[in-house]
Amino acid sequence: MKKYPEIDELIQAIVQGEAHLSVNLAEALIAKGLTIESIIQDGLTAALQSLNAKCTNEEFNLLEIVLAGRAMMAVMDNVIIRYLPPARATESVPEKTLVLGTIEGDIHELGKHVVKMLLRSSGYRVIDIGKDIRPEEFVERAIQQDAGYIGVSSLLTTTIPSIRRIKELLNKAGRPDIKVIAGGGAIQQTSRDDLNVDFVAQSAFDILNYLKNLQDEG
Amino acid sequence: MNSYERVLNSLKKKQTDRVPVVPEVFGVTAKAAGYSIYDYVTSPSRLAESQLHARRLIGHDMVFAFADLSVESEAIGCELEYKEEAYPVVRKPLIENLKEIHTLDLPDPQKDGRMPVVIEATTRLRDVVADTCIVAACVMGPMSIAGQLIGLEGLLYHIVDSPDEVDKVLDYTEEVTRSYGNALLQAGAHCHIIFDPVASPMVVPRDVFRRLELPRLKRLFREFKEKGSLVSWLSIAGNTKNILPFYRDANVELATVDYTVSIPEAFDLLGDIAVNGNLRPFSFVSSSPEKIKEEAKKCLKERGNRWGYLLGSGCEVPIEAELDNIKPLVEASLEFSP
Repeated sequence: MKKYPEIDELIQAIVQGEAHLSVNLAEALIAKGLTIESIIQDGLTAALQSLNAKCTNEEFNLLEIVLAGRAMMAVMDNVIIRYLPPARATESVPEKTLVLGTIEGDIHELGKHVVKMLLRSSGYRVIDIGKDIRPEEFVERAIQQDAGYIGVSSLLTTTIPSIRRIKELLNKAGRPDIKVIAGGGAIQQTSRDDLNVDFVAQSAFDILNYLKNLQDEG
Repeated sequence: MNSYERVLNSLKKKQTDRVPVVPEVFGVTAKAAGYSIYDYVTSPSRLAESQLHARRLIGHDMVFAFADLSVESEAIGCELEYKEEAYPVVRKPLIENLKEIHTLDLPDPQKDGRMPVVIEATTRLRDVVADTCIVAACVMGPMSIAGQLIGLEGLLYHIVDSPDEVDKVLDYTEEVTRSYGNALLQAGAHCHIIFDPVASPMVVPRDVFRRLELPRLKRLFREFKEKGSLVSWLSIAGNTKNILPFYRDANVELATVDYTVSIPEAFDLLGDIAVNGNLRPFSFVSSSPEKIKEEAKKCLKERGNRWGYLLGSGCEVPIEAELDNIKPLVEASLEFSP
């Protein structure tokens, strides 16, 4: 296979949050003959892995991740999407679909936006249902959209009773198979049992890793 | 030895009868006094009464003149959404284009939003406790106010895309912190706590803290001190290990550290600066009084023989916690006498 050293520049540009440069490098690589699949696999996915490694050390911060997410989305929206039919950009199957929202009582959305960017860049179909969302709506939308997962975001521990209800409502609706993932702010101090969810994410990458592990197991 | 002497002696690294207990208790004090969070954040008498009632029940060593994180942004002009049992939140950013910052007037602490509510509560608290207990006034730091005016996501992008404009926004928000802080001091506060969650290394890299926040904190604390503030206290949550070495340069005298930084690490990184912390805030909701007492004793043990330590929570005690879960801090301090 032909080597493209510029792919490392693309990875660097994304990790450093250089959106314009990332788009230009991706375009240049395509012009040189690199396939879209390679751009995704060796460029975007490699950049995600590099960010993931960074996320586990103490230098991780929201600013860098937001910028890298913006660069990645710029490559997706301006380059990848033009070369791929929409159906291939994201897969409309439960194991690749997540309904995402901020729970009732909270209106913070930044963490949710970061998760959305990372999951979309990784080929997931993310349905963002907004902020201050009732547990019932999470469940209704997940069933309606044939989603395999519900992602619930919150900064505040006061929302815990509402988060706990999501699983109860899923069980009542006969859909215990839909996994509930919680994350954000003060929620990181809590456990799965505190929240009655399947997973409590410490970061956006934690969600990606969790989903990947589920698929590997399945 | 009263609470005032206990805290001040401890800050001066002098011996005290027990380690001072200073958990960040704000809205959590309302329920025990029979009030809702809405009552607490909108009524000076209820805010003061809640703080005093909680202190009588818990026996801790400070009262706080603080309503919620949105007092400054509301006074500037942000529209808030109020709920009965939750803190108010900013509904949407006030400005989209950073150049609009020049169109905003500085809020008048005596007139705008709920600044007068907290100012009156400060005076009420000071009238009751006089000099037996410190009245700490809490103000938001420049970066967090900017995050509310622009929206956090917008602020983060602008820090990189338009740094000069962000500097001007922060000059404005620094002035808001300054004028509100001075008004609280005049109203009777003994000292200030600056909260700046957006300046946490979890949100922005260390270099951004050093460049944008540090010089502003330095000016603010110096000026508050010149005007009579007894202690310059900074409270930034999250894993702050990589910015703690900057605190001395920022004129900080007391630092709250979160549960992600151990007490010995905090002392090592802060040098002479006193330490407050670091119980996990959610423990006060999910744990039992026995376990909290154990955790508190662990903090006291970790402190070793150092003075300049105030036992407390790593961040605000959540509003849904029970006061019975805060009392064990005082019990632990009494049982673990120096």
